[in-house]
Amino acid sequence: MSNLAPIICDNGTGYSKIGFAGNSDPSFVFPTAIATRGTAAQSSRAPAVPSKPGHLASKRGVEDLDFFIGDEALANAKTPGYSVHYPIRHGMIDNWDYMERYWEQTIFKYLRAEPEDHHFLLTEPPLNAPENREQTAEIFFESFNIKGLYIAVQAVLALAASWTSNRVTDRTLTGTVIDSGDGVTHVIPCAEGYVIGSAIKHIPIAGRDISQFVLNLLRERGEMATVPPEDQLKVAGKVKESYSYVCQDIVKEFRKYDAEPYKYFERYDGEHSVTGRKYGIDVGYERFLAPEIFFNPEIFSSDFLTPLPEIVDDVIQQSPIDVRRGLYKNIVLSGGSTMFQHFGNRLKRDLKLLVDRRLDESVLASGSVLKSSGVEVDVISHKRQRYAVWFGGSLLASLPEFYTSCHTKAQYDEIGPSICRRYQIFGTAT
Amino acid sequence: MILLEPHNVIIQQTLGEKLVKPSSLDVQFVDYDGVRFHLSTPEKKTTLLLSMHIRCWAELVQYGALDVLKREYGSLLKDEAEPEYHVSLEIDLEQAPTGAEDREAFITSISLLKRNTLAAPFELAFKSQKQLENAGTGQGELMQIHYRDEEGIYVQSSPDRVTVIFSTVFSDETDRIYGKVFLQEFVDARRLPAIQNAPQVLYSSRDPPLEIRHLGNLRNTEDMGYVTFVLFPRHFSNPTVAATTISHIQLFRDYLHYHIKCSKAYMHSRMRHRVAEFQKVLNRARPEVAPSGDRKTVSGKTMISR
Repeated sequence: MSNLAPIICDNGTGYSKIGFAGNSDPSFVFPTAIATRGTAAQSSRAPAVPSKPGHLASKRGVEDLDFFIGDEALANAKTPGYSVHYPIRHGMIDNWDYMERYWEQTIFKYLRAEPEDHHFLLTEPPLNAPENREQTAEIFFESFNIKGLYIAVQAVLALAASWTSNRVTDRTLTGTVIDSGDGVTHVIPCAEGYVIGSAIKHIPIAGRDISQFVLNLLRERGEMATVPPEDQLKVAGKVKESYSYVCQDIVKEFRKYDAEPYKYFERYDGEHSVTGRKYGIDVGYERFLAPEIFFNPEIFSSDFLTPLPEIVDDVIQQSPIDVRRGLYKNIVLSGGSTMFQHFGNRLKRDLKLLVDRRLDESVLASGSVLKSSGVEVDVISHKRQRYAVWFGGSLLASLPEFYTSCHTKAQYDEIGPSICRRYQIFGTAT
Repeated sequence: MILLEPHNVIIQQTLGEKLVKPSSLDVQFVDYDGVRFHLSTPEKKTTLLLSMHIRCWAELVQYGALDVLKREYGSLLKDEAEPEYHVSLEIDLEQAPTGAEDREAFITSISLLKRNTLAAPFELAFKSQKQLENAGTGQGELMQIHYRDEEGIYVQSSPDRVTVIFSTVFSDETDRIYGKVFLQEFVDARRLPAIQNAPQVLYSSRDPPLEIRHLGNLRNTEDMGYVTFVLFPRHFSNPTVAATTISHIQLFRDYLHYHIKCSKAYMHSRMRHRVAEFQKVLNRARPEVAPSGDRKTVSGKTMISR
């Protein structure tokens, strides 16, 4: 039974992406939520203790088996007696008890796989503490007896996912990853598969903020008057996903819309989830203003004002000088909030401007003696951006080298959890 | 979740989605006991091809799996299975039932593909038990299903009962001990008055039960365990009861291993709790830091160490 596909498990703060290697999409995408018995206030208390004598069956109940995960957890959120918990906070596992049970049901109820027969590829955020890796390894090797484990950094997997783009010719793991999900956006430089931790930057603008911004715009224009309040944020999210794109020049775009509103304004139709009443809104400037908050954050927030291209430039400038060319040449997008049309083109243009300006300055400073040969800037967008991390995992785990790079159960038994502090990068063309 | 469900969630979900909105697809996934599935749309978007690879196919065919599948799926079953796979179902989404309930039933029946395939030997055993009961004597054929590399299910019918024996390997030392406690519990729990009607369960580690001792291909090592279920006619005389009996019994091995893992997770959460408690005690025991700054004598002079 050696030919069973490895399992890829990408547990994010909001959603978990789970599936088998070799597929192009995860088999399951559901919220990383677990609904357990007992109120939220009791969550810190110990699990029930067996007390009565007699058979084991009568000694303790089955409370520890009474829980739901994923969509079922949210569906049961309002059932009396259950409360929902999110075991992952800011990308890191916060509550190991819940996480262990979450994995237990993921494997046995959803994937229906015997962990003994499979290799696992898990993901971790950049700057994850080695202790967390050890804990994870302990759970997977000791509770589940898995065959082999590989813990990969999410940014590296996103780089691997970009190999599917036809613009990528050499399979390299050097590049800058812009990972924008629901909660936060990271800019992460990677050199040959290793994250340059000191240069990572976070941007407090991500999917949730864009939806909020769209909602504000629609409200200001008075479009939201007909939409029931409880549906408004959802409608804003839908509008963002289906109609938004990145423009090259805001002023021109505004003019275009004003000249021919019928050509550019879109109509969104919805239905009240309870009463079934129909409503419709006109979608206008939001279409190009929504993703604009990455490039001109001042239109949305007053405390964070640095545009994304500048952040990316900063990050690369803080990285070691010998990898900077590689980082500029290979900027990879990952996560749902980078899916806007032309997002890559705009980022590339703005960044190129910044870089060229700096080069010109240094030419001037040297008295026009030294001339740079120019820096190549390229942003890569590809079809698998939404689940890029998972897809990269699926890609790497279907390589034959995956099995030799995994830590096996035998190695774990020999050395212990500390084995997971080291890991091997594989899959590059060089 | 105490019992594992007999249907495959991926098939169920994907079919449900594709019936609403057909699109091209090519996924591979697994089920318990090393069963591999391949779901694809090779020709057009509305024709799904679901193929299954199951390790003990040759044995299952011998025990009538094809008849069971024909009965369950009729024309959906393809004569020629996809290469590398054993069974293929061709599902035309345009021909699928339209009513909400019919559609539900259709999806469920397809997601039970593995269960139905593995049900064949059990159905055969139940049938032959009837015949033997009428004849009054004799022993049915001992059916062997090697559903995993080193583990097997043995089914034999007698005039008054059907015996099902599982052999199971525990790859891990700890698992073996958990398994032992667990299986012993199965034997003991039956003494409770509420579950007197449950099938009788016998457990032996290392030594195979008498029914299969004559087989040459059994391993006699520490990590082997044998679980014997004795099913009486009341467990399979009624067709619906028989169906649930089959669903439950074929998932027994996975059920056992699932619960071993759950018990470990429970133990771990107890351990984490205990460690947190100990840590609190340790924190309380930490000596208080001596107050810094200069110390004064009773008369108010400052003490300075030289």
